[in-house]
Amino acid sequence: MEHVIVVDLGYGDAGKGTVVDWLCASRPVHAVVRFNGGAQAAHTVVLPDGRRHTFAQFGAGTLRPGVRTHLSRFVVVDPLALAPEADHLAALGVPDALDRLTVDGAAPLATPYHRAANRARELARGGARHGSCGMGVGEAVSYALAYPDQAPRVRDCLRPALLRERLALLRDRLTAELGPLDAPPIDACVAAFAAFARRVSIVDGAEVARLLAAGPVVFEGAQGVLLDEWHGFHPYTTWSTTTAANAETLLAEAGATATRLGVLRVVTTRHGPGPLVTEDPTLGLTDPHNPTNPWQGSFRFGHFDAVAHRYALEVCGGVDALALTHLDLTDRPLLLCDSYNWTDRLAPNPDPTDLTRQAALTERLLTTRPTYDCPANLPAAIEHALDVPVLLTSHGPTAADKRARAVTAR
Amino acid sequence: MGSGTWSTDVYDAATRYRRKTGASAFSYSDGGARTVHADLDPKGAFRESRDSAEHPHSLAIAVLFDVTGSMGRVPRTLQAKLPQLLGLLQRKGYARDPQIMFGAIGDATCDRAPLQVGQFESDNRMDDDLGRIVLEGGGGGQMTESYELAMYFMARRTGTDCWDKRGRRGYLFIIGDEMAYPRVKARELRKVLGEVGAEDVPLAQMVSEVRRRWDTYHLLPTGAAHARDSRVLAFWRDLLGQQALELDDLDAACETIALTIGLGEEAVDLDRGIADLAEMGSASTGTVSKALAQVGSAATTSSRLPAIEAGGPVERL
Repeated sequence: MEHVIVVDLGYGDAGKGTVVDWLCASRPVHAVVRFNGGAQAAHTVVLPDGRRHTFAQFGAGTLRPGVRTHLSRFVVVDPLALAPEADHLAALGVPDALDRLTVDGAAPLATPYHRAANRARELARGGARHGSCGMGVGEAVSYALAYPDQAPRVRDCLRPALLRERLALLRDRLTAELGPLDAPPIDACVAAFAAFARRVSIVDGAEVARLLAAGPVVFEGAQGVLLDEWHGFHPYTTWSTTTAANAETLLAEAGATATRLGVLRVVTTRHGPGPLVTEDPTLGLTDPHNPTNPWQGSFRFGHFDAVAHRYALEVCGGVDALALTHLDLTDRPLLLCDSYNWTDRLAPNPDPTDLTRQAALTERLLTTRPTYDCPANLPAAIEHALDVPVLLTSHGPTAADKRARAVTAR
Repeated sequence: MGSGTWSTDVYDAATRYRRKTGASAFSYSDGGARTVHADLDPKGAFRESRDSAEHPHSLAIAVLFDVTGSMGRVPRTLQAKLPQLLGLLQRKGYARDPQIMFGAIGDATCDRAPLQVGQFESDNRMDDDLGRIVLEGGGGGQMTESYELAMYFMARRTGTDCWDKRGRRGYLFIIGDEMAYPRVKARELRKVLGEVGAEDVPLAQMVSEVRRRWDTYHLLPTGAAHARDSRVLAFWRDLLGQQALELDDLDAACETIALTIGLGEEAVDLDRGIADLAEMGSASTGTVSKALAQVGSAATTSSRLPAIEAGGPVERL
């Protein structure tokens, strides 16, 4: 196993962080590359000595000495959230996280103006919230798509006059659309972003090729395939490509390839609203890392939804192996849903840009009922239902709780 | 996913980038030190929280935590969240001029650093105090720590203007997962505090004495489903009633402290306070809400005593 892509085949929160940490602890990984999302990621890693960090922008391998992080151009970079994250890592005894970080200059910036606009929109939606995290990532993506040549980007932090101009334009456009925004003055932002640029290595797009040449690289996905902007269940999706596509693009540019590892919990979960066909509040599970918050709402649990995860596999082009997490839950019987009351396969959208069709699918899923099996050996049943070998099982929060599973010939 | 875990305050970020980074915040302890730093030594010490021209309405807040065993993580968490704690207290108007003192509690019967006390500070100099604390690390789990010794220090070795001038109690937060010893021992008072002519003080008397000037809370992390949790909780409930708070997640200690002060000062109700936390990007609102459910519903505890007329005589209790 040389380079690895780690993607979540559900709605996020499956445990990508702990899997990436395990990879970095068990092999000589040179760098972790982020290829989607932004600071809204929350990938928690726990060390055997109890130290814990919830990774938002640093790669989840950062607690392992020497492992680098690269934020590619597909990441929405949030310099303001990066500073306290680096300081928390320093407090944990990892003082050099910023020194091990490179950021692609072409990556769009998340700013307080995006954040304020994001929150204003979610509040306006009231009960019909989309489950946004309130970090302004989606807002930054949509602005960068609408104004690709004027959107503030990481490299602009090196040119304060240009940055000031772009921030003012951004603020004025959003204010014209949404009214006054609750955000700090331009000068304060320019000062903070310039301080970021003085501290962090801003690099060009060839950095990925350099890292791939230097040693094994882990591509750490954020969120989950079922939240993908095109393939997810619209409108309960994210402004981000959550499949492996961006990672494959970066690899192809460097003429490299990677093994794909899909991460799944043994229970299917969803933070916030949207379809969760197998939802079962009587499961009685809680997740201390995912409390109810005003932007996403509650954290929901359901039985393993093989139909939805098969759909995720199909739309992301398959994976080579699975990592199954939270097996320490299974001292009680968990169910596996291998078919719905109307189908056992959700067909990918023939025209992925046709969100009307995806919205119709969402409507149908909201009233769909699952049919269940109660398998004696859940990992084996999942392996069979998804037709992918399970390479790794996780039985607790730390890398020491991971078990590599012998892959049987099928 | 989850919500934004890290603060996105623009001023805070600029300061952090400008600061030279390098050593761990706990360089003293991480550097191998195993005896109390001179600045934190309680022997012969007296700690004061006083008004100044810059901070005319000082409110004394003391946070003392167990640093043995798994609790060694607490100061690291506090250090990381300190700017947020101060920011929340001030920006949201929970307290106008908070002065915070940190201290660490060990076991006087065996630890090398049974009690460490910083100074009351109004700015990030308290960071330096945290950085000098010796973390005992391993061991722990012996069920008992010298919390009573810390209470003695707070009761008899501190002076605050919020009490002396305004008749308002300060806030004392003790964070720990063990029980206290049944009495403050004269021998330890001599050895650790340098107290001459000291006598034993029973725990119950110590608690009632410290609560006269300090609105006292115990934060008990629940954690790994220890069977002993219920015993420790019962112990603190017996001493402090509903001011013994259960905390699902130690990382929420900072937020819990901020909100407890907000409630005690009647600056917010629980719902408003939880919304404030969410607004500043806290991922711990669930834990805090649960921990403070009882305190919040009690519509503020009796943290206020009648104010004493300005200039009038202050009766020392």
